[in-house]
Amino acid sequence: MTLFQRTIRELHQMLIDEEISSVELTQSVLDQIDAVGEKTKAYLLVTRELALRQAKGADERLRANRDVRPLTGIPIALKDVLCVQDVVSTAGSRILKGFSPPYSATVIERLEAEGAVFLGKTNCDEFAMGSSNENSGYWPVHNPWALDRVPGGSSGGSAASVASGEAIAALGSDTGGSIRQPAALTGIVGFKPTYGRVSRYGLIAFASSLDQIGPMTRDVFDSALVLQAIAGHDPRDSTSSLRPVPDYLSTLRNGVKGMRLGVPKEYFVAGMEPAVEQAIHDAVRLLEQQGASIQEVSLPHSDVALPAYYIIAPAEASSNLARYDGVRYGYQAPGAKNLIEEYMATRQQGFGTEVKRRIVLGTYALSSGYYDAYYLQAQKVRTLIIEDFTRAFEKVDALLGATSPTVAFPLGAKTQDPVAMYLNDILTIPANLGNVCAISVPCGLADGLPIGLQVIAPGFREEIALQVAYAFEAATDFRKLQSPLMRAAA
Amino acid sequence: MPEPESELSSREVEHVARLARLGITAEEVVRYRDQLRHILSAIDALKQADTSKVPATAHPLEERNVMRDDLRESCLPVEAALKNAPSREDSYFRVKAIQE
Repeated sequence: MTLFQRTIRELHQMLIDEEISSVELTQSVLDQIDAVGEKTKAYLLVTRELALRQAKGADERLRANRDVRPLTGIPIALKDVLCVQDVVSTAGSRILKGFSPPYSATVIERLEAEGAVFLGKTNCDEFAMGSSNENSGYWPVHNPWALDRVPGGSSGGSAASVASGEAIAALGSDTGGSIRQPAALTGIVGFKPTYGRVSRYGLIAFASSLDQIGPMTRDVFDSALVLQAIAGHDPRDSTSSLRPVPDYLSTLRNGVKGMRLGVPKEYFVAGMEPAVEQAIHDAVRLLEQQGASIQEVSLPHSDVALPAYYIIAPAEASSNLARYDGVRYGYQAPGAKNLIEEYMATRQQGFGTEVKRRIVLGTYALSSGYYDAYYLQAQKVRTLIIEDFTRAFEKVDALLGATSPTVAFPLGAKTQDPVAMYLNDILTIPANLGNVCAISVPCGLADGLPIGLQVIAPGFREEIALQVAYAFEAATDFRKLQSPLMRAAA
Repeated sequence: MPEPESELSSREVEHVARLARLGITAEEVVRYRDQLRHILSAIDALKQADTSKVPATAHPLEERNVMRDDLRESCLPVEAALKNAPSREDSYFRVKAIQE
């Protein structure tokens, strides 16, 4: 097996045994980027020199056995919504072309402290708005399992990089499913922690009451390792939780024997592909065979989660994106006569179609006369969704369902129909609105395309989601499945 | 006050875009109007939910009134803050005239 195909856990062992160096490992991943990068288009920027410099530093740390951490020397890709000091960070938007952040996100500082190696910035939908990566202001990403298909979004570049061997792990961000859905569509593990578990400081904001950063990895063990490194309170993000971070590895292998797992009947939605539905039923049965007790549960307001989200997220986005005015950073339209003309031209030329659509929708929902009917009503529906989860978690320890109702679809299939595109997130949005955590883990293939099982656990019970996902993964061979791009280069 | 049920008009799209300081072309006005009508009709299900007995959730935080100690801390140096400015003068961001 080639180095770039391995997991963090395996590579960490090889690094501490001095079987390999971080420089060799990093070079192996950079070579794979050279080999397949033009096919996936997963990266917006590859930070080759930075990566090799960090790898050398990691090797010194490993040789001296000085504060060696699980991620020391491990090459990681970063979604372009994360600010890295002096490394161009654009959130996939033309309006931030060339933007060089004056500071790094807290998650970046934490990975640096671990001694991780930064491969570069991964492509994403502009300002993380999208489910196919086709809203990138630069270029679309191609799914390593089938290059004519989307990788999902908005963390499509991060997902494709991990699935193609162009990164060992990646960070993504998830506002309505942007980690889990692309993870499902590319056959990797994607984890959206509870809101407040990971600091958002330095994350380019989309919808501030929903955004959360999380790991995208080859397996559940690696997901636990990355989450452990990035979770915890940050004084620079007052919305980050003061709750202590548990040791995720200590409970990972506890299995599901005696656990109560719920299957929300509302999660078998109209339009779900039969192969996806079958894979979820099979996954539920497998967990039952592993000793879990299964019961059907109801989340009665699931059908209004999507409409509530498409009010709340655009409303928050319309406010957050007001900062792109062409004055302090980013693109400035030339030739305007006065300030307001400059604002309007800068934003017209700098933002892409989907971002503009959401700014208009969000501003409309917040405008006088519509506020109560749309924004306030959506916030009340959010309360109903939180209550749905609270009631369900009185009966069960975790919930099981599909991550996406479909497998990866062809590029261009949904770009003309925003509503059809929004339906991709129908099963992932409730976890964001409901303030719970959720992980997607591979659970099969349909015609050679990956399917994801979603495990939802109560707020701040990430260890439960990891434990269930790990038990499922350990009882199956799905984690050994590799995309054709990853296999071909071996 | 306009009825939320009424169909979104081109004038409203133009008005909202202006509020958002977003320049849009006449062609975009029509396209966004039609797409937003479609989106809003899909979102209409929202109104069927009975929310008469629940408060609104603006954020999911447990903490309240997070304060830090009132200590002097370092801040971003002027040069770092200005390094991405499209237009600057001395230690300032340079902007166009607000009034003629």
